[in-house]
Amino acid sequence: MLPYILPGVNRAYRGVPANALWNVLMTADSGSGSAESTSDTGGANFRALLQAAVDAIIVINEAGSILQFNPAAEKIFGFCQAEVLGRNVSMLMPAHYAQAHDGYMAHYHATGERRIIGIGREVEARRRDGTVFPIDLSVGQVDLPGAAHYVGIIRDISARKRNEQEMRDLQERLARVGRFSTMGEMAAGLAHEINQPLAAISTYAQTASRMLGAGSSYDPQDMDHICRQVSEQARRAGEVIRRLRGFLRTEDAGRQPLDSNALIREIMFLAELDAREHGVPLTLMLAEGLPRVHGNAVEIQQVILNLIRNAVGAMSEQADRSPGVIIATAHHEDGGVEFSVTDYGPGVAEDIARQIFHPFVTSKHHGLGVGLSISRTIIQAHGGRLAFVPNPAGGAIFRFQLPEAFED
Amino acid sequence: MTQPTVFIVDDDHAVRDALRLLLKSVGLPGEVFASGDEFLAAWRPTLRGCIVADIRMPGMSGLEMHEALQQRGCRLPVIFITGHGDVPMAVEAMKAGALDFVQKPFRDQDLLDRINEGLQQEKSLREVEVEIDELTARLRALTPRERQVLERVVAGQPNKVIAMDLKVSQRTVEIHRARVMEKMQARSLAQLVKMMSRLETLRDT
Repeated sequence: MLPYILPGVNRAYRGVPANALWNVLMTADSGSGSAESTSDTGGANFRALLQAAVDAIIVINEAGSILQFNPAAEKIFGFCQAEVLGRNVSMLMPAHYAQAHDGYMAHYHATGERRIIGIGREVEARRRDGTVFPIDLSVGQVDLPGAAHYVGIIRDISARKRNEQEMRDLQERLARVGRFSTMGEMAAGLAHEINQPLAAISTYAQTASRMLGAGSSYDPQDMDHICRQVSEQARRAGEVIRRLRGFLRTEDAGRQPLDSNALIREIMFLAELDAREHGVPLTLMLAEGLPRVHGNAVEIQQVILNLIRNAVGAMSEQADRSPGVIIATAHHEDGGVEFSVTDYGPGVAEDIARQIFHPFVTSKHHGLGVGLSISRTIIQAHGGRLAFVPNPAGGAIFRFQLPEAFED
Repeated sequence: MTQPTVFIVDDDHAVRDALRLLLKSVGLPGEVFASGDEFLAAWRPTLRGCIVADIRMPGMSGLEMHEALQQRGCRLPVIFITGHGDVPMAVEAMKAGALDFVQKPFRDQDLLDRINEGLQQEKSLREVEVEIDELTARLRALTPRERQVLERVVAGQPNKVIAMDLKVSQRTVEIHRARVMEKMQARSLAQLVKMMSRLETLRDT
């Protein structure tokens, strides 16, 4: 029985008899001339494959020395074959991998425990000029009499990574524009919210000064009350600004495990601004014992705020504004958390419903109609889906789910 | 008649509380309400004074409250407190007959001046109402025939013409005329004419 390349390696050369591979491996050092001298067609096919492969193919022995380095590898790494053959493969790795690599191999030889062999994963590699770049690496093992060899197939994924990052950056910027636009629409309400405590402070202070003025008498309890109120109202104004800044901050907090219910409670302050003005009650129905979800807190809050504001807008056209808007969380059947915002407004007209997530589609007189479109983009970027269903009791339900966060 | 009072309508507890103390510090009677609905429920036609209301409130806005009050025949002057960006709303309020508006945060003296103006306006409005009521009551005491004579006298017609017009004797007209002067409490023809033209102008306002 001749050994075969183990499964988990690229299908393209699975099934090539290992003795053919062996011949190729053994003749690599002496150049293509001697390889051609073999009459084995399997070996010739394999050599053709090495030459033509778009992916880099590198074969090493148990000691980590490079035995094969195909043209695609030369192109990706910037080394020519002659420079690398016989040298340790760690020369193709960034320092932190390189130092650990011999240890990994020793660990595998000692325990047989697979960390990468037969499995593909994303790692980093180093080019001749020292630049580090992301690669998809899959490694297969070839068992030959007396020795094992390893075949690594490498794809340079820097372009893909760059695109992904660009997409993420764009999406984040779009989300930020959405937040500023929302705050612009809410500016009057926010100004009112800051003006209230300022007006109170101003009136309290002027009243105190009047009380202290010549010829006036006052109740010391009133004066004490005024001082406490001035301090309390100053804190209140500061709190509005603090929360607003939190919502509009431009530095990216990134994604982390989040408490869904806390996210909702935090954003209720802004949601209430709109709801109170339109006389629409907001009700929270939050499930307990929810798993943490993975995401960017501000972006998810932005989606929730947007959905609530839409729901409040829909309800405000009704003469009867009860039971208002219900904001709920629940365990999702696939794990994770389902968020929903339910209103009892006029519902969404069928022609609008079909394109409700398209930008610039709106039934409102104000606003751009980008809120739902941005919200859906945000939820998709979080691996979820934002969907609309009609409320059986009249009105609309918007819901989305977020995957559970797996903490390291 | 109740004592003239400043009615404060503001949803914000702190603003309400501060205004209450401000009124107290200058010795003006004040009452506070947390919403337009609350004030509407408390309003009686006998209430006197003026209203200080926030223009932007949840549920019923200040403007809506003002409109509802006007529909019920409330003529208390209204001073609106507005936020910085609420100028269009303030303009609307002025068109709807508000006395004035002050922007938040305001100088307490500005608000107190407006309040005094409101109280003054309401007082003279009330006096005019009393005068109209008084004159109307006197007019109601006239018989239809006396009413006809009054109209013609005020129009400047001599007794002879009135007598011919109403197909009665001059003597009868003289008797009616004396009765009119008595019931209207007019000492002279000039005073009677003045009284009637005053009533006309007052009713127009």
